[in-house]
Amino acid sequence: MSKELTDAELVLQIGLGSGAGAEGELCRRMAQRIRLYGLRHLRDEQAAEDLTQQVLMKTLEALRARRLLDPEKLASFVLGMCRMSVLDLRRNAQRRERLLETFGAPPSGPSRPWLPSLDYDQLERCVRNLKERERSVVVMTFYDEQTGADVAGFLGISEANVRVIRHRAIRQLRDCMGVAI
Amino acid sequence: MNCFDPIGEPALADYWLGLLGTAEETAVEEHLFGCDECGERLRRMIALVGGVRKLAREGCLRMVVSEAFLKRMEEEGSRIRQYTVPAGGEVRCTVTADDDLLIARLAAGMSEARRVDLSICDGAGVERLRMSDIPFRPEAGSVVYQESITYAKAAPGNEMIMRLLALDEAGEHPLAEYVFHHTRSLPGPGGW
Repeated sequence: MSKELTDAELVLQIGLGSGAGAEGELCRRMAQRIRLYGLRHLRDEQAAEDLTQQVLMKTLEALRARRLLDPEKLASFVLGMCRMSVLDLRRNAQRRERLLETFGAPPSGPSRPWLPSLDYDQLERCVRNLKERERSVVVMTFYDEQTGADVAGFLGISEANVRVIRHRAIRQLRDCMGVAI
Repeated sequence: MNCFDPIGEPALADYWLGLLGTAEETAVEEHLFGCDECGERLRRMIALVGGVRKLAREGCLRMVVSEAFLKRMEEEGSRIRQYTVPAGGEVRCTVTADDDLLIARLAAGMSEARRVDLSICDGAGVERLRMSDIPFRPEAGSVVYQESITYAKAAPGNEMIMRLLALDEAGEHPLAEYVFHHTRSLPGPGGW
């Protein structure tokens, strides 16, 4: 079994133009991380997929042109590219089309279901087992994405206490769901 | 691959929900871009958050909710059946197949209360469920209680008594009592 290349080795190989294998490995390695970032910031699976394609294209373009000076900083470089691209995606939806025309769609790693499946019956039992305030905090925060200040206002307690209650409830849910989450 | 400094689930949840400060968020993202193990745990946390949202949308949880929560549910198209009951009041109620959420607004003076329990009793007044230390605002003048729509849709015609109780060092003091006369309007006899 061949040794997995480090990020720096991938960068160097791509810079030397020595094989699509290194580019494929880079895409496989980074695609899921970019998707998660995209999903967090764009809140849309298709938009996250678009971001993944765009960032991988830009990254490959930069690495082929040897624009990453410190190969050890690949992860930071891709993260920075994500940040800029999210701003870019919001500003200019047409750019993606131009990049696709120029470079074509790169491989983005094997697609797999975005999220693991859950045992909803077990989750319902776990949520029911929370204390009343914990259940209210978790549901209102998770469902409505209410801020700590909103929930604190509803409960008549401080934001710090809301945070404590939320974190305790999350740990309980994690323990109750076991390996299922 | 083993992460030597894994991000805790609470921090992952806060990150996903946008509740971290800028510095914390930056640190989490830098970690996630070098750690697929924590990325995998974030995916599980996202699934958990999604699962709780699904339960909330289905209205199957018994809980105290806020007006903001109800407003959001309504905006997203949930059909909400609501009953407002004064302290000591009675109400005739039902639930239909079209209802997504079932809400009881229980009016009570709670300005002096420090802890409030909600006691759910059968028609004879025997307690069947106690919701301890429910969230409430003393000045609000009411508690917005969500009954499980799953439970209500399965229920036969019945009578239910709810009591709000204030608790302090001296013991338990009734704040108000409410009687619900439930008529089944769904097909079939119902039953739990």
